[in-house]
Amino acid sequence: MPQPSLYQEEHHPSPLQYTWMEFKKNHIAVAGFFCFTFFLIITIFCPLLAPFDPNMQQIGDLLIPPSWYPNGGISHLFGTDALGRDLLSRIIYGCRMTFGISILLVIVAMLLGVGLGALAGMSKGFRSSFINHTLDSIQAIPTLLIAIIIIAILGPGLVNSMWAIALSLIPQFVHQTRDFIRRELSKEYIMAAKLDGASKRHIFIHSILPNMGEMLVVQATLALSVSILDISALGFLKLGAQAPSSELGAMLLEGIEVAYIAPWTIAVPGGALFVMIISINLVGDGLRSALRNRLLH
Amino acid sequence: MTNVLLRYTNLVLVTLFILSLLSFILAYLFPGEAVENLTGLRLNELTAMQNSALMYSADDNIFVQYWHYIGELFAGNWGVSFSSGLPLYEDVGHYLPASIELSAYALFLSFFIGLPLGFIAALRHHKLTDYSLLSVSLLGYSIPVFWLALLLILVFSLQLGWFPLSGRISLLFEIPSITDFIIIDILLSDSIDKQAALISAFRHLILPTLSIAVVTTTLILRITRRSVIETLNSEFILAAYARGLTPRQVLMRHGIRNALIPILPLLAMQFPTLLTNAMIVESIFSWPGIGNWLIQAIYQQDYPAIRAGMLAVSVLVVIFTMSIDLTIRLTDPRRRRAERATT
Repeated sequence: MPQPSLYQEEHHPSPLQYTWMEFKKNHIAVAGFFCFTFFLIITIFCPLLAPFDPNMQQIGDLLIPPSWYPNGGISHLFGTDALGRDLLSRIIYGCRMTFGISILLVIVAMLLGVGLGALAGMSKGFRSSFINHTLDSIQAIPTLLIAIIIIAILGPGLVNSMWAIALSLIPQFVHQTRDFIRRELSKEYIMAAKLDGASKRHIFIHSILPNMGEMLVVQATLALSVSILDISALGFLKLGAQAPSSELGAMLLEGIEVAYIAPWTIAVPGGALFVMIISINLVGDGLRSALRNRLLH
Repeated sequence: MTNVLLRYTNLVLVTLFILSLLSFILAYLFPGEAVENLTGLRLNELTAMQNSALMYSADDNIFVQYWHYIGELFAGNWGVSFSSGLPLYEDVGHYLPASIELSAYALFLSFFIGLPLGFIAALRHHKLTDYSLLSVSLLGYSIPVFWLALLLILVFSLQLGWFPLSGRISLLFEIPSITDFIIIDILLSDSIDKQAALISAFRHLILPTLSIAVVTTTLILRITRRSVIETLNSEFILAAYARGLTPRQVLMRHGIRNALIPILPLLAMQFPTLLTNAMIVESIFSWPGIGNWLIQAIYQQDYPAIRAGMLAVSVLVVIFTMSIDLTIRLTDPRRRRAERATT
């Protein structure tokens, strides 16, 4: 029940509260947000949630269909794969790998990208244009190609593919940060700080950085969905996570061999990936339109 | 205008120089001997090896080596593959067109569907049509391309049997490769039943094209929608209404042209994504394209092939994005003014 307001006091929500109010109006985005939290919980607490060990092979239970099939059992909710491993547990651990690693990668890329972007945005002349051109050319090369080159040098593996994805995620952050800093530098509150005698570093840390948070969050959701797609694609192509690992892309690859007799082995991991990426995109879209609507008011 | 052209040529040349340098350095970074990685010859082929060591002046310092490497690149002598022993220049020339063909059809299809739908969504902004198109596009945007390709194979090839699983054309047809674009090759050849060959080629094309096009279409839809909405909210549109033009006239005379301009550079930014998707789809459908070839090269640790393929693909990407950028710079008067203002 809403509290009756007794006093005629004007209440001004803070920018963050205002964004949340705008975000809440979009019900689909809120659903996406809950889905996102759900995946986050799975990622953190997965050993508690998974009913079986993801690599335990039960010889008697090969290719049991999921529980919604007429001959499926309830002990394996999503069925088992060709080696008798419980799919539900593998999916839960797979979410941890794919989702958790992607979050890690995005954070690393964001830190490096913001650092480089600040360097490019605050400096002028040769240094700035050198950073710009180098990053533009990195951005023009497809992720898969960067990954192929890095993997050719270092050999296939999850960690090496992570390097490749982090490298391909950095340029967007640098671009966004640099453009943002350029825009802010011409505003008057920066001029006020300059007149107060603030150094460049002081201006960046105390004046610009606090304003960048929202832009970074939106950019991070974009990067997160790209990174999940890339990491699972590399796993799928045998360039990233290798076979016994429960990374979702690698699981899909294992499922192909039995796809005709056991379609759930590719439907379930792919579906998990799909839902994961949808929820992230929903949150990202919702946030972006909430921020836009807030500025319109 | 000459100034802009000169600057772009300069930029392209510098980028190409860096790329060639990079591919040369890769030969040293990859495991094994650099000369092996440059030529593709194994150490047991000693005499040929000595000749090529002479050719690249492997004993001289690295700058002389790079100079010789560039000379060999332009002579079309890219070395041979470790695994097949075939010359790489011909191999790349054979596989790259197949990829370009597939991506071009997918891109064309996406434009054909995505642009009109984007316009419709923007014109019905905040209405049911807009929301439903936006949700559908979100689904298409979020679906992992390899999963989509697998589902399409499962449903349309294995369950229904409508379309073939893999390859470019049924093995019954032997098409002489002239341009390496399959459709053009079929039309050029005269020995066989053209119609049957075309139908077979189209049936092979449908599934891979669809799986690439789904993601690209949704991207185009979203970019178009945003651009049109922003254009229709601008002041010159309001001015056009104030002069008494009907909504249709406003859209035709002022809306479309101004909305289309910002779409192109945004699309050029998505080109690497399109290529990555195309490479994945190629490897699923065994499409004999450069992506599939590169991924096979990784499995077989075929370093000369990776070096050559990387160079070819990145040069293609750079030239494509730069030419789009240049077209925009030359056609959009707003960009020209901004440039004058800064200099």
